[in-house]
Amino acid sequence: MQQENRKLNFDVLVVGGGIAGGESALNLANLGYKVLLVEKELSIGGKMILLSKVFPTLDCAACITTPKVSEIARHPNITIFTGAEAKNITKKGEHQFEAVVLKKPRYVVVEDCTGCQLCEEACPVSVTDEYQYGLAGRKAAFIPFSIASPRAAAIDIENCILCGACERACPTNCIDFTQTEEEVLVKIKSVVVATGFNLFDPLKIPRYNYGKAKNIITSMQMERQLAPTRPYNTILRPGDGKMPDNIAYVLCTGSRDKSIGNPICSQICCMYSIKQAQLLMGALPMADVTIYYLHIRAFGKGFNEFYAQAQDMGVEFVKGKVGKITEKENGNLMLRYEDIEAGVVKEAEHDMVVLSVGVLPNMEISESFKTEKLALDPFNFVNQSDVLASPAKTSIEGVFVAGTASGPMDIPDSILSGGAASAETTSYLRRASL
Amino acid sequence: MEIEKGKTAKWLKEQRPVPKEVTGKLKEFTKIKKGILNALKEGDKTIPELAKILDMPQDEVVFQLMSLLKYGFVETGEMDDMDEYFYYKIKNNGKN
Repeated sequence: MQQENRKLNFDVLVVGGGIAGGESALNLANLGYKVLLVEKELSIGGKMILLSKVFPTLDCAACITTPKVSEIARHPNITIFTGAEAKNITKKGEHQFEAVVLKKPRYVVVEDCTGCQLCEEACPVSVTDEYQYGLAGRKAAFIPFSIASPRAAAIDIENCILCGACERACPTNCIDFTQTEEEVLVKIKSVVVATGFNLFDPLKIPRYNYGKAKNIITSMQMERQLAPTRPYNTILRPGDGKMPDNIAYVLCTGSRDKSIGNPICSQICCMYSIKQAQLLMGALPMADVTIYYLHIRAFGKGFNEFYAQAQDMGVEFVKGKVGKITEKENGNLMLRYEDIEAGVVKEAEHDMVVLSVGVLPNMEISESFKTEKLALDPFNFVNQSDVLASPAKTSIEGVFVAGTASGPMDIPDSILSGGAASAETTSYLRRASL
Repeated sequence: MEIEKGKTAKWLKEQRPVPKEVTGKLKEFTKIKKGILNALKEGDKTIPELAKILDMPQDEVVFQLMSLLKYGFVETGEMDDMDEYFYYKIKNNGKN
């Protein structure tokens, strides 16, 4: 593919358009700084925009994210590159950074797309929808999800058969297969790293049988099933479409487990599982929900009350470590677990199992820093060099960290961290003009 | 050379062929879609019933049927007598 080269100037490069990066970008933009927000996905909003509700208030996640996302998208001081990655970030001196941003072609002129979905309708291809975490399909010409920002189509070129049906259906002629990869050189004065986290892949624990037993799903897949933009008509077992009535949660899947290389607590799984259990009790009033836990960590404001509320609603909490999950012929699942309080090994049958997967570091960004090393902590999150006095500071002066890039945290803490990063960035930028 | 707007897919196809596995996947989806829609034309069905008729694993029927639901070919009907499975029915005679 041909490469085009452009040069641009901004005050701050924010890498990652999730809730933390978005908050940083918005604060900086409101203070008058010119911000470039680089997001690798086709939409900003990060993982939060795909959630059902948030704990402990049970507010709708989309209702909180979308106004914020729309404010970011329309801000005159923010330029957004979606489908883009910051590849080479070099420090030339204090308040002087350069970055090469790789923009992948979307094959759609976003400014001209009205989001009418006629291309989606015309596209004959159906492939796995990554935004529904594999639970249903999507077209090769598609809008990532209904509340995506920008709400514009994109072409999945890997799966496109180049039939041209989308182009013929498009009323604004905004589909353009001649687009190519573009490298943009940007000059900035500081950088905010808000690259978020990765979810643990339960295929790494073969004894849980995820992937083989189809009625075992991850908590993110359950999150999608509970969201208004859900993949199914209601909550169903992916193995056979049956409505479940006895659901188990396995906490600490991929957290606090040295055997899979992640010894730390992910901080959010207890609470999101309790939240999902409450939502399930509402969606499936006849269903039993059991949570297998090691310790319930309900440490935040209103968290313990939220835990007690779930107990009052009838969610069963079993202090137990699940060793193995096997599938029965009817698709039900047998959980073999150590009942920690009784000190015995027990077995229990459920018709659906949700693995509460943990938070893993997203290390990729550290490789983008070429001149000075962006130090990582012992667990491979971005190291906070002065965690108590200046929590957004990293090993590179002028590079700040926001949100879960620095470690597991929940949504309010991510937003706080995004705010802290923007304040520290401002103070660094102001020093330049003193 | 100026590439005509609205015909850029044709232009790209001339530059590089479409991989066989991509066209193969489309053929498979079209076949499954036809199978599901034909079965539903005969009457409303649950997922286990569809799996039996089409001789397909039930999890694959869930995936394909839910995709067709999203694309507007199928809609949800009543629940079965045991309150376990939904019936699914064809929408607009299979045209979206």
